[in-house]
Amino acid sequence: MPTISIDDQTIDVPEDSTVLDAANRLGIEIPTLCFLKGYLPSTSCQVCLVRERESGKLMPSCATKVTDGMQIDSETPEVHAARRTALELLLSDHVGDCLAPCFFACPAHMDIPLMLRQLSKENLHGAIETIKKDIAIPAILGRICTKPCEKGCRRSSADDPVSVCELKRYAADQDLDAEQVYAPECAADSGKRVAIIGAGPTGLSAAYYLRQRGHACRLIEATKQLGGRLRHEPDPESLPRETLDAEIQQIVRLDVDVQTETPVDSREAFENLAESHDVVLIAAGADAMNLADEWSLKTSRRGLEIARETYQTERANVFAAGSAVRGKCLFVRSAADGKEVAQCIDQYLSGKSVAAPAKPFTSRLGRVATDEMKQFLAGAVSVPVQILTKQEEYSSDQVSDQVSDQSNRCLSCGCVAHGNCRLENYSARYGADPNRFGSRQGNYEVLGRGGNVLFEPGKCIKCELCIQIAAESRESLGLSFVGRGFDVRVGVPFGGSYDEAMGELAEKCIAACPTGALYFDPKAE
Amino acid sequence: MNETTSESRNGTCDDLASTQCDVDLAFVESAVTQNGRGVEAVIPILQAIQTEYRYLPDAALRRVCELTQIAPSTIKGVSTFYTQFRHRPMGKHAIQVCRGTACHVKGADLIEEAIALHLGLKPGEDTDGRGQFTIEPVACLGCCTLAPVVQIDEATYGRLTPQSVPATVRGFARQSAEQKTARRDLRNRNRSANAVSVGEIRVGLGSCCVAQGSGHVFDKVQDVVSSIGAAADVKRVGCVGMCHQTPLLETVQSDGTSRLYCHVQAEQVEQIVLQNFQPSGLGARMRTSWSKWVAGLYGRENGADALVEAVSPQEGPVCEFLGPQKRIATESCGDIDPLDLDEYRRHDGFVALKQCLNDLSRGATGETTGEITGEAIIDEIEKSGLRGRGGAGFPSAIKWRTVRGVTAETKYVICNGDEGDPGAFMDRMILESFPYRVIEGMAIAAIAAGAHQGYFYIRAEYPLAVQRIRHAIAECEAAGLLGDSILGTDYSLHFSVKEGAGAFICGEETALIHSIEGGRGTPRLRPPFPAESGLWEKPTLINNVETLSLVPWILRHGGDAFAKFGTETSKGTKVFALAGKIQRGGLIEVPMGVTIRQIVDQIGGGVPNGRRFKAVQIGGPSGGCVPASLADTPVDYEALRDVGAIMGSGGMVVLDDSDCMVDIARYFLRFTQDQSCGKCTYCRVGTKRMLEILERICKGQAKKKDLVLLEELCHSVSSGSLCGLGKTAPNPVLSTLQYFRDEYEAHINGHCPAGKCKDLIAYHINDSCIGCTLCAQHCPVDAIPAVPYSQHVVDVDRCTACDTCRVVCPENAVEVVRR
Repeated sequence: MPTISIDDQTIDVPEDSTVLDAANRLGIEIPTLCFLKGYLPSTSCQVCLVRERESGKLMPSCATKVTDGMQIDSETPEVHAARRTALELLLSDHVGDCLAPCFFACPAHMDIPLMLRQLSKENLHGAIETIKKDIAIPAILGRICTKPCEKGCRRSSADDPVSVCELKRYAADQDLDAEQVYAPECAADSGKRVAIIGAGPTGLSAAYYLRQRGHACRLIEATKQLGGRLRHEPDPESLPRETLDAEIQQIVRLDVDVQTETPVDSREAFENLAESHDVVLIAAGADAMNLADEWSLKTSRRGLEIARETYQTERANVFAAGSAVRGKCLFVRSAADGKEVAQCIDQYLSGKSVAAPAKPFTSRLGRVATDEMKQFLAGAVSVPVQILTKQEEYSSDQVSDQVSDQSNRCLSCGCVAHGNCRLENYSARYGADPNRFGSRQGNYEVLGRGGNVLFEPGKCIKCELCIQIAAESRESLGLSFVGRGFDVRVGVPFGGSYDEAMGELAEKCIAACPTGALYFDPKAE
Repeated sequence: MNETTSESRNGTCDDLASTQCDVDLAFVESAVTQNGRGVEAVIPILQAIQTEYRYLPDAALRRVCELTQIAPSTIKGVSTFYTQFRHRPMGKHAIQVCRGTACHVKGADLIEEAIALHLGLKPGEDTDGRGQFTIEPVACLGCCTLAPVVQIDEATYGRLTPQSVPATVRGFARQSAEQKTARRDLRNRNRSANAVSVGEIRVGLGSCCVAQGSGHVFDKVQDVVSSIGAAADVKRVGCVGMCHQTPLLETVQSDGTSRLYCHVQAEQVEQIVLQNFQPSGLGARMRTSWSKWVAGLYGRENGADALVEAVSPQEGPVCEFLGPQKRIATESCGDIDPLDLDEYRRHDGFVALKQCLNDLSRGATGETTGEITGEAIIDEIEKSGLRGRGGAGFPSAIKWRTVRGVTAETKYVICNGDEGDPGAFMDRMILESFPYRVIEGMAIAAIAAGAHQGYFYIRAEYPLAVQRIRHAIAECEAAGLLGDSILGTDYSLHFSVKEGAGAFICGEETALIHSIEGGRGTPRLRPPFPAESGLWEKPTLINNVETLSLVPWILRHGGDAFAKFGTETSKGTKVFALAGKIQRGGLIEVPMGVTIRQIVDQIGGGVPNGRRFKAVQIGGPSGGCVPASLADTPVDYEALRDVGAIMGSGGMVVLDDSDCMVDIARYFLRFTQDQSCGKCTYCRVGTKRMLEILERICKGQAKKKDLVLLEELCHSVSSGSLCGLGKTAPNPVLSTLQYFRDEYEAHINGHCPAGKCKDLIAYHINDSCIGCTLCAQHCPVDAIPAVPYSQHVVDVDRCTACDTCRVVCPENAVEVVRR
């Protein structure tokens, strides 16, 4: 049994073990993309590189056999840099968005494509759950939002954007009308108390998410009614009072302690709150500026001064968000702030270090050419955009078809593998910069339309796994590399389809694909 | 299935092929019958099909899958990997344009453009409208001393200029020169009855000699000798190495005096023969004097009648060229007929093999054992200090001993003849000129390792080498030197030839093995090394052509004799292909330890045209540029490595001050990037990104930070790539960055100091112009309006910087200026 040490941890391993096997035994996680147990290591991705101390050489751990006395470095800056460069090189040739452009356009980073998929399948419950994960007041925003998501929608450059906002409103309205309105699960009482000054979009949203984490919330409003600027800024035509009240009610009913007509306009009142609560959140809107002195808080040009990443003021237990820190801002920005500050407060209350949600890693497609747009359009329905039927007529049969059609206009820009993609996950872990070697050059294309299996060559990292798996069956045509060098790609012999290439083994191939290059067409029968 | 667009991008086109091919598939069956039904037959079958149909019709490939064990995915993968294979019909004739290093520095780009212009090709097209010619760039034709070179079908044309292109293409209609060579090769020697008393007339017939017209000279010699009945054997010999002097003819009298004639034209042959040999028989003598008299009567008044001078090997250029050389791998160079087995044996051929076999058979009688013989051979190799001549310089004895040490029923030996470095052609020359020597070396290696089966893997671009090795193997089998019981012993040894199919990467040993096995030529991680697990997972000894060709000499003279040449760590001799900006290019063999300066100045006669010697590119795409200031570096594995180059396989391209070093780096990166197999990320994507940065630099579009990124990328690619190709690909960039960084910086500032990079230069006609309109007449893109008797002007927007105007101007009025 040869002995090997990795990062100075020593272990005996059976003959013929690889460095990767040994690392697994030691609990050292080495990233791999092209390796799958049971198949020949193709040593293609070079992301599993480790350094052999004696020679100083980098070698792929998946195929390097252990020799007695071998000493390996895995978790060192040099090795990490090599892995990062391999990832960056792969990303420089990667054609696709991990996350759809609308995700980044929406200040609340709602999972819009997921909501649309759910709506297209008439899964209203799923849709409202998806929406409310990130937006506490969708029925309200569905009426007054300036729709940055639709401006970011890729389809807007072909014909019209998907009517995300209307569809969201539809889902929220349907929910409010339902016998059992959606209510999120709230965690058991944490014993922590949060005072929220101001019941506008930020304060309401913060309360909604803090309650779900089990923290007691006292919502303190200076005026008679909850809603803050939602109540006086939009005209009642576009935002009917009933809708406003109904949605606020959905938040209050999560056991939020409401105190109206209670201005916190003195130092004493503020200090009392701070004294009696674990955290004070200032969500008092633009008025907060005027009270900063009373509360002895610093201000910036726009509003109260906070640490960008944590929403914390100079007093660690005092947070501020929304218009209170930004001055004038979009309603959806305020709502998004409420969600984010709730996360930060939760971290603070749980004794963790406080950080706003990290910007997710993503590969970006950027602008698409006309031909590429055709590829996208081929995967979506071609109906034109249509104003949804009025709320009063929601019950009519046509509506659900309409909702489904309009949702299906989505080009599904995001990657099917998002969250499960190993390239994405390791890139995030190793801090890979997708643009280090310039912006993308490859063309976006989807092959195999009309069949069950779709293939996006631009996302393929040439790991060879599908080729090896497809070769296990004599029934199917099989897959092969076509061409060589930079232009090599995975193809089907004799012009066959990807379905014919993999046959019964398609599922296995797809499961093995380390990225989102190979997948079942979600729209196929 | 929307695959058409993607497919055509890769040069394959299933739809097109299936509609266009109405092929008679009977041939496919015979190709399969001839080459076998196993997976390893895939490349030979594809080669046969391509030879027959001139491309690979889809229907033929489907038929192959039906008839054999070759799966559709295999045939698709293999047929799209190698550049030799075409998936679309091509024109009647193929024009292969060499992109080797020597050709590159001598303007191959301009030749390619001129051909495209002549054929009227639009961008992206490779075949002319009438389907006559298809233009195909090739990595290297291995005729570096004739650069720039193109090959039309089998005829090679050297020293082209953009102006000579139209005439060359038109003139091609005449019959192909190489077909004649084929006949020359197979034709029995024109030997007179009494072999002892007559002299010889030797004509070098290597591929490049033929390209220079040696074939015509040879034919003429035969005609003259038979018509006048001269007492001389006409003998084809291999490459003489003096490529700068070809066609070369040597006469050897029966008393041994020899005379060497350079640059011989067919018209001079008769005179040369008559100067050295008496016509025999009254009739012939009378005919001869009659024709001489007639010739004297009618013209030749401009002195062409004067005696053709022989050159002396004792002094002058030939002496300088040959002086410092020592011939071991190329022993008897220019003396022997490559395919004459008897003659090879008369020159001590197969003495070493016999010696090894005698020891082996004595083993059977108990005096010594076969075990010891193998050991003894390897001991001798070890004493000689022989290191692999393919590039890396691994000690041969260690390799041999490893294979020998593995217990296995089957072992293989492979001769790596996939010489792919652009700018290197010594292996081609050795295979063409000394096929028996390489066979003998390989047989000895096989005995030492305990192998009974061997393969020559020779690149497809070397048809003459393939043909001669095949012929030589057959001769050896007939003579009992190869076969079931060689030289009467019970040792069986079988050799065969596998042709490459156009993939530089197959020079890498694990890729080469995959290729012989019938796969895509992708390398794999070593260890295990082929010595332990190689061809079909059996222990396999792989040596380069030159390495094997040294073996017989070492065993005949002893390892110590070999080790007397060279330096501390680099023993013996090394063959180099000396080309580029040099007076006397050619194939040279020098003892290790001579300096680069000796090679360039003494052997090569320095840089021509009064230009300044700038650098030598050594080691091809894996090597580096050694600047003139370091020209005293000796030829030695370690010394060359220390200055950023490598010994490599032996390409040595001399560069002068008109060569742009950034352009050279880009040239090599283009090559490696194009030849990358695409398996590992660092090489597949990394070399592409490096090339993009270099392209930007050459276009003057790069920024300072691009240099930093380029350098980082060089180090990443060399440490992270899987095989030698990727690991060494950054070397040409790193070495030029090390010695010529100022040139990179100048490009970033929009200036190409050598005046080479087209985007940074412009052509300007100064006031020395006499208005002769020559430039205007020759300009292929009408960028110079003809205005007789006044100063001409170049339209910079139209100008393609083809350099023609500068070359044709009689007044040197055309200058290259900064754009």
